[in-house]
Amino acid sequence: MIRHPELNGTDYLMLGFDHELRRHGFAGNTCQITLELAAAISPEALRQRLAVLVREHPVLRTRPGGVIFPKWKPARRGGDFPQVRVHRDEAGLQQKIFNEPLAINSGELLRFDLIEGGGGRMTVIFTWVHALMDAAGAEQFLAAVGQETPALPALTLPAKPCKRLPLRERLRLAWKYLHHIDHFGKTAPRSVGVRHPAAPGELRYHVEKFTAEETARIRAHGERLGGILGDGQFHVALAMVELHRLHQHLGCPSPSYVVPVSVGLRPKGASALWFGNQITVLMLQFLPAALDSVANAVAALKSQTTQALRTGLLDSGIMLGELFRFLPLPIYMAILKQGLRGEICSLFYGDTAAVNPHLTRFMGIAVEEFTHVASVTPSPGIGVIFFYFRGELRVTVLHSLKVLNETEAAEFSASLRARLLNP
Amino acid sequence: MIPTQEIENQLQKFLQREVFAPEVAVTPETDLVAAGFDSMSLVRTLVFIETTYGLWIPESEITGDALRNLRALATTVSRLLNARVK
Repeated sequence: MIRHPELNGTDYLMLGFDHELRRHGFAGNTCQITLELAAAISPEALRQRLAVLVREHPVLRTRPGGVIFPKWKPARRGGDFPQVRVHRDEAGLQQKIFNEPLAINSGELLRFDLIEGGGGRMTVIFTWVHALMDAAGAEQFLAAVGQETPALPALTLPAKPCKRLPLRERLRLAWKYLHHIDHFGKTAPRSVGVRHPAAPGELRYHVEKFTAEETARIRAHGERLGGILGDGQFHVALAMVELHRLHQHLGCPSPSYVVPVSVGLRPKGASALWFGNQITVLMLQFLPAALDSVANAVAALKSQTTQALRTGLLDSGIMLGELFRFLPLPIYMAILKQGLRGEICSLFYGDTAAVNPHLTRFMGIAVEEFTHVASVTPSPGIGVIFFYFRGELRVTVLHSLKVLNETEAAEFSASLRARLLNP
Repeated sequence: MIPTQEIENQLQKFLQREVFAPEVAVTPETDLVAAGFDSMSLVRTLVFIETTYGLWIPESEITGDALRNLRALATTVSRLLNARVK
């Protein structure tokens, strides 16, 4: 009998965001990786490779469920997943695919869309439910799909990040995290809000690409302001400065700005195929005074990160997630938003670092461009993802059409670009 | 005074247990950054050093040279601890 894994605390949080998005008329909490290939691949060959993976990894034939203990349950019969769909290229198709829901409750946890382009090229869009795996896991999965040999690494079930502790100790740890968020609530953030109520419940994204020379300049700025290994800190700080400027520009300044920063729990150098989100979230708060310059924002960020690790806040956050996953999703989201007085955060932020080196080719074809995309909840309705492809920086800017229209989002994106080059 | 070798051994055990995957063999010469050591790993290591030796490494000391590998890091910690004793 197949033993299906439980959803860990972060998986369940991602399911909570899925609930929140669908409740507001959006597609759900999904992520995408887009590969632009130099030549077309065979849809049938891709289906065959996926069939092998689905056979080897039972989690790919499941749906979220379970009474009390959330777990991956066997998918309902009748669903023919994962789908591989083939399209002719047309304007707006990629954005349309990004806004198409997956039938998660029937067991559609991932989908492939192949877009035939001009000159024999092809775009591969891999969409997955965020509750199934994080971006690093998805890159490993995609590398496994696209590799030349059929041999695949073994499935590793989601890790239990918290050691077994007495209930009293677990509650104490979880309470510490709640107290931390409650402290943020004293100067709670206020999102931009619904500025375009007539707009459809859809998300849009735009990718800022930087050349190797521009990336080197940005890295130098990051090292100067963030220190060695400071790229990530520089990116967060800069994004928050730019968000504060956007709020001011739109005439809706916020008493504070809160950003959830993902912290990888996957051991460095791990090569196995992992399902389940191997990340936890560190919530950081910036007061407007700390966002008057990138240097001040970096200083505020370093101080909060260090303090969080000194006081064991990461373990507390993991514990809170492990306890909260037994709550029904609507109650979970209500409690989550209560802490920040109705908000989840001010900006969704992702930094997936360098793309998996095995993804320079996919099923034997050169990958010419790579993009990470992810849903953002309707409030705050704005998000950014930083990553490096072939050593060049890419920034995906995401927004809800109800929060920012295309022009406003393009201005934000251009401003972010300019500040990265000249902080 | 704590011998540099002992610091190196303790750091090696910490990194192998808490930061890197079992399949990554952390030696004193391993290039930490190339092996995946990132900013969060750095802060965790700094907190470990503070907890173990009561020393917070100042930012000016966190250079590319100091993080070149485990041996360089242990040497930096040892030097700062000795300077504090004097």
